[in-house]
Formats: sequence, C-alpha cells, structure tokens
Amino acid sequence: MMRRAVLGVGLLGALLATSMPFASAGAVDIKEVTTPLGIKAWLVEDKSVPVVTLSFSFAGGTATDPEGQKGVTNLMATLLTDGAGPFPAQVFRQRLEDAAVSLSFGASHDRLNGSMRMLSASRQEGFELLRLALALPRFDLEMVDRRRAQFLSSVNQGSQRPTTVAERTLMGIVFANHPYSIDTQGRREALQSVPIDDIKQRATALIARDGLIVAAVGDIDEATLARSLDRAFGNLPASTTRPAIPDWTPPAKARTQIVDRPVPQSAVRMALPSILRGDPDWYAAFVMNHMLGGGGQQSRLFAEVRERRGLAYSVSSSLRTYDKAGLLVISTASANERVADAVRVIRAEMARLRNETVGEPELNDAKTYLTGALPVSLDSSGSIASLLHSLQIDRLPRDQLDKRAALIGAVTADDVRRMARRLLRDDLMTTVVVGKPIGLVGDP
Amino acid sequence: MLSTRSALARLLAVEWRPAETFTLPNGLQVVVLPSHRAPIVTQVLIYKVGSADEVHGQTGIAHFLEHMMFKGTPTTGATEFSRIVSRNGGRDNAFTGFDVTGYHQTIAADRLELVMRMEADRMVNLRIVEKELLPERQVVLEERRTRVDNVPSELLDEAVREQLFGRHKPYAMPTSGYADDVKKLGVNDLTNFYRRHYAPNNAALIVAGDTTVDAVRKLAEKYYGPIPRRTVEPRRRPKEGGPGLPQRVTRADVRVSEPRWSRDYLAPSYRLGETKHAHALQVLARLFGGTENSRLSRALVADAKLALSASSAYSPASLGITAFDLSVQPAPQKTILEIETAVAEQMKRLLDDGVTAEEVEHAQNQLLAAAIYSQDSLASGPRLYGALLSTGGTTADVDAWPQRIAAVTRDEVLAAARHVWRDEGAVTSLLAPVEGSR
Repeated sequence: MMRRAVLGVGLLGALLATSMPFASAGAVDIKEVTTPLGIKAWLVEDKSVPVVTLSFSFAGGTATDPEGQKGVTNLMATLLTDGAGPFPAQVFRQRLEDAAVSLSFGASHDRLNGSMRMLSASRQEGFELLRLALALPRFDLEMVDRRRAQFLSSVNQGSQRPTTVAERTLMGIVFANHPYSIDTQGRREALQSVPIDDIKQRATALIARDGLIVAAVGDIDEATLARSLDRAFGNLPASTTRPAIPDWTPPAKARTQIVDRPVPQSAVRMALPSILRGDPDWYAAFVMNHMLGGGGQQSRLFAEVRERRGLAYSVSSSLRTYDKAGLLVISTASANERVADAVRVIRAEMARLRNETVGEPELNDAKTYLTGALPVSLDSSGSIASLLHSLQIDRLPRDQLDKRAALIGAVTADDVRRMARRLLRDDLMTTVVVGKPIGLVGDP
Repeated sequence: MLSTRSALARLLAVEWRPAETFTLPNGLQVVVLPSHRAPIVTQVLIYKVGSADEVHGQTGIAHFLEHMMFKGTPTTGATEFSRIVSRNGGRDNAFTGFDVTGYHQTIAADRLELVMRMEADRMVNLRIVEKELLPERQVVLEERRTRVDNVPSELLDEAVREQLFGRHKPYAMPTSGYADDVKKLGVNDLTNFYRRHYAPNNAALIVAGDTTVDAVRKLAEKYYGPIPRRTVEPRRRPKEGGPGLPQRVTRADVRVSEPRWSRDYLAPSYRLGETKHAHALQVLARLFGGTENSRLSRALVADAKLALSASSAYSPASLGITAFDLSVQPAPQKTILEIETAVAEQMKRLLDDGVTAEEVEHAQNQLLAAAIYSQDSLASGPRLYGALLSTGGTTADVDAWPQRIAAVTRDEVLAAARHVWRDEGAVTSLLAPVEGSR
C-alpha cells in the first residue's frame, strides 16, 4: 500500500476554527493506583473492548551499557521473553500464544521498556508470565546465540540502509563522546562477544521497583490492577544501583558530512541542539517546530520543499527529548541531483522563521492542530497507554492534558521567533547526507 | 494452563460488533462502526480501483491520482483540503493498493459533517491542473525512489511479481508505477482515469467512532446522495499467472548485506481461483510459518540452525489471484541449497503426514485473537471492511469470518496446501550481496 505522506501548506485563509475542537481535552479520566506493596500506576479504565494494555519501563537504557558491551541492554530485553522460570523458550512462547497475550521488551537510550496486551479473560495468565519474565528469565545459551545472530544481521542490514546510515552518522557527530552516540542496537563487536553472565548482569542492574513506571488501559478496575501489579512486580528488588548517564555538551560548531552510497536518492538528516522536556519554553519550541516541519500537513518545510517544488516526498522536523539532551532533527530525502536544492530551501525556511515574525492566522492554525491532534491520536488502548507512560517519564501531572490547550494557546508570535532564534542556528547545525549528492560538499 | 480448544471456544464467545450498513440510491454503500469511547470519528472513503486496474504504459496512474485528489475543487482551493482538516484538529491521509484507493480523516466527532462535505465534493468536482500536477509528479517520483529504487528488496519484489503474474499484467504492474510511465502522465490521462472510476456506485463509505447510523445516514444522504451514478466498466483480473512457471529470479546488489531466500506460489483469493481454500490457507500460513513456534521456524531456525528467521504469509483479500509466500533469512555460512532442501523437506512432511488437530486449533486461536485485538483500534475496523468491500466482499463476509476460520479442519488445511504448493505456480527468488561487499 502506498501511503501519501502528510500534506499541507501555510497559506493564510479565513479562520474556520473559531471554536476549538476538544476545548475540554480532558476526555481521558486518569486514575492513580497505589498497590499494597507501594507500586504506583496510572490507569484509564475502559470496558468497551475486552482488552487490557500495559505500558511500563525501568530507568536505565542503552546509554548505560557498559564499555565494550554496547547493545547488551537490547539483547537482554529481547531475551526476557525467550524462556523464564520452568518454561524454556518454546514453552513460554506457546503459553503466551495460547492465552493470546503479547508481551515484548526493548530498550531506548534512557529506559528498558515493556508492553503487554491481553484479553481480559487471560489477565491472570498474562500477569503470571510477566512476573516470570522479569524475575526469572532463563537466558538459555541456545536463545542467546540465536538472538545474537539476529541482532548482528540487523545491524549489518542497517549499515546498508541510507536512512539508518544517516541516523547513525548524525548521532555519532552530535553526541560525539556521549553514550547517546551509539544507536540502541549497539556495536557489532560487542554483540558478538558479550558473555551470558554480563547479559544476566544487565537484567539485575536495571530491573527493580525503584525505577519503574507503569500505565494501564482497558478492561481492568483499580483493585484488580493493584493485585495484578503486586503479583507481577512486587517481588522484584526494591532498588538497584543504576549507572548514571553523563551530561551532554552540544557541539560548538556546524558540520556537514557526506557518506557515499550507491543510491539514486540521498537521505538527509540535520540536527540542532534543542531544549529538555522540562524547559519552561517547551511549548514555544513545540509550536515553532510544528510551524517549521511538524506533522499535520501545514508546515513551511512541507509547503516549500514538497508542495511548491516537488523536491521530496517526505520532509519533516521533530523535537527529540532524552534524559540529558534535546535535539531538533530535520529529515528528508531527495534525488541526488536535487538534494542540494532541498537543503538550500530548508535552510532558507529556518532563516525566515528567525527573521520574520509569523502571522497570527498561521500561528492559530498551528495551535488548533496541536490542540486537536492529541485527542485524535488516542484511538486505541495502546496509544492511550503510551501517552500515560510518557507523561510519567516527563514527570508531568495527571491533569496535564487539561492544561495543555491553555499552554499551547499562550504561545505568541514573539515566542515563536524567540525560539527560532535560539534553536535554528546555522552555526550549530550538523548535516549528514547519505547517497551520491551533487553540489554538496562535506567538511574535512 | 489453558487448552487451545477452550481458548478457541472462549474467543468465539467474545461479542463481535457487527457493522450497520445501508446503500444510497446512487449506489454508494455505507458502513457504520459505532464506538463511543472517545469523541472522535474516522471517515474512510474507498474507491474500487487500484493499480491492478491500470493498463500497460500508464502504470502509477491510480496512485498519482490519489496525490492529485488533494489539489483542489472549485470550492476547496488547491492544497486546501488537508489544511482545513488540520486547522480543525484532524488528521488525514490516503493510500493506493492493487485493488483499492482510499482516503481517510480522523477528527473530533462534531466535525464529521465538514470532512464528509469535502470528501463528497472531491468525488465529482476535482480539478486537475498543470500547475499543480508538475511539482506533484516530482513528489510521486521521489516517493518511488524512497520506497523502491533505494530498497533492493523492493526492486526484487517487483521482478518477482512480473514473473508470478506476467509482465504488464494486474498485480505485476507496480503500484508506484514505472518511473518512465509516471513521467509521461499528464492532466488528460489523470482526468480520464478519474472520470472512469470515481463514482458513488464504485465506492464505499466507512465511518467508525463516536457517531450513530442515523447521524451518518443523514449526512451521507445530504452530501453523497446528490452525486449521480456513472457507468463503470467491470473490473477484469486474469485467472492465470505468468507464463513459463516455475521461474527463478536473483538480484545481486552491492547494497545488500544479508541474503534472503523467498518463494511465492500463486494462490486463490476470496474472489478468484479455488476460493474454497481461502480460509484454510490462512490457517496454513499461521501454523507453517506464522510465528517462531510454527513448523518452518522450529525446523530451520531452532533445530537445524540453518536460518535466522523463516516465515510464511498469505492474504486472501484480493480481487484477482494472490500469492502464498515463504521467506527465509539464511544463517551465516549456510548455502541456499541447504535452505531449499530444508524447506522442501518441511513441505513434503506436511503434504505426506498432514497437520495435527492441535496445530490447527492453535493457529485458529491466534487468528481470532488478532481479530479481537483489531477491534481495539479505531483504524483497523475501517481497514478490514475497506479491504473486503474493495475486492468484491460484503459486510456479511466480515461478520462470518470468525466462524469460518474456526470451522477449518485438518483435511481442509492439507487440501489447501496440496492445491497451492505446486511447482507450476512458483517463483523462487534470491536477494544476494555482491561478493566481497560484505
């Protein structure tokens, strides 16, 4: 299936949206549940479908991989569902399938993430399998070898994919000597050699109740959730000593790097140092980024790069937040012969946002979209659980969704320009182009 | 521990929410899937046309037209459509497949009328002009580069389809079009295609979310109702696959680091060929290569350690014949001959000895569970109905699906495998690194 990417333009028109959709966005009723053993979780109870979804995580992600073991956290995460307690991998998997429970783990730079989905009728079995996976993972040699080989293959495949190469190169430059520079999949050599004992050690180092965040959505009430969480997480160690993630010093100058690859279309990534999620200017940056290249088909990059000039199929910018860093990343891809034009237009649009104050109609359109887009995205219990989970990671209050519209609404055209000047800095921008670009030259 | 039999019974006992459906006098079929858990609605309008309805020399036209549908009518300016949706806090997009072209928006429930008015408007009033078409053609070509030309496995898949279905035939013509064809498509070509295929009697409207059948009926009558029906040519699909099967296709590419072995078999769909096998083939695909515990994966990955992964897949929602495919990623240092021999052994074992009742129930269990989970998302209901309605199915087919899957027997799975796993319907393909590039 061919999906058309987001589409839109920044033409100014009469304001249709004088009344905002979801003026009261607090359609989501979030409860906080504290279990007898002291585990806290956020819950949205919803009985419309007989499904329960859980989204949870432990502090400490791939950025805390020990030296020489880059990739071990992700390997460990995958192995958690490859056999636990008395059940070898095949039996464990069979139990999951029989109960129609899907349980999976993975790791981001900052956290070890888990998600589970089950039918209400298989809740008991689901939480029991979760308990086993967390407390008694087996790490049998056979499964370790299998996952090792699959991970290596995946790393190799990525090294041929222009977008992955661009991403890895970009992170390598922007995060230089910081652990965020290594992608969450890790390094080939480490994946090949890390011993089983060190994989087990990773699980011990990260899986404990003190770094736990839990969100639950669906057909489960507060009392049942509390009981179930105590069963699944209650016997884990109360705390663990997690290695700290060091602070990050952003690059002090601009850099352009070309990576030669035999493809007809060059992949482009541009990164700028940005703010942390807790920064008081967050919503100003959020609105500014949206106007530059955010989703929802109204952005300036979309209008100028795609619609007006046909230089790319997709072009976007996004704010990325980590525990210790923030980035604004622009992505696009354009034929080798035209990619220099695309880069030039992107830079011109950055300059325009710095140099000219945005008009009120365009600003209002952006705000209406951003206010409405969140409730519209809550169209499955999985998406609601992810939102509940990320609100907690960002240490936001439960009523954040009610406040959000006002916070977005308060952003002014001056705020947008101020954030553009602060973030859209040519002199701090890292540009990576992967392909055979014509008319672009890298720094030595 | 639950037995699979009781699990199956339990899954069947889950209440399925049947769709409500009606048809307007102009032939537009409407399906409503009410869900009141959030104050949002999704409107999906599908047209019963896709890239398999194109002709040789004009590949990519269905997809290009999909792009141009966002480029304005006399009442909605060029580039305005999505901007209005966004300004009202909604999201919209579109897609093109072999048999279908679809347009969808998700928006606050009280804005349903707005998107329905605009969607109905562009069903008849689209204006395709050179000024908008020229840059959009570049966008379409960039899309092809992103999805296909930059991706060796996709280029191989195009070559496989050409063998399997026959060059220049439906399902062999790529949805994104051949670049040389797309470069030649102009205003008249697209306008003619639009007039031939876009009509209420060649479309279906699916609305899911916080609304009622009465509310949707009223709005649909008001906005889609006045659009006159048109004569639409019947859709044609060949009964046979490509000539000279079996075939082998290899793509050696310096951009490939990991080899992949695949085999595609021509297979009946819900609509064409020996359609009676369509449900059993879904069970077969599951139990043979649907999960890590399925036969192929156990034998090649876990036991023989020949492969990193091994899977099979089959999708029956097609107007024409379709494919049942096997895919294996060899382990390092293993040869393609070893892989092929091992796959053949597993297929022979199944054909000789059949499948167990337990395997069948286990696969049925998984298929039904996936269907229940799909009810949890606002997007998946319309996707399911859209796929079936665009390929000649009915809402009754969707409603009957759980019972039909649950009714599949061991003998039927075996008969389906015997019908489909035949050399004269196969294309074997290999994606390979170029020596020394690894």
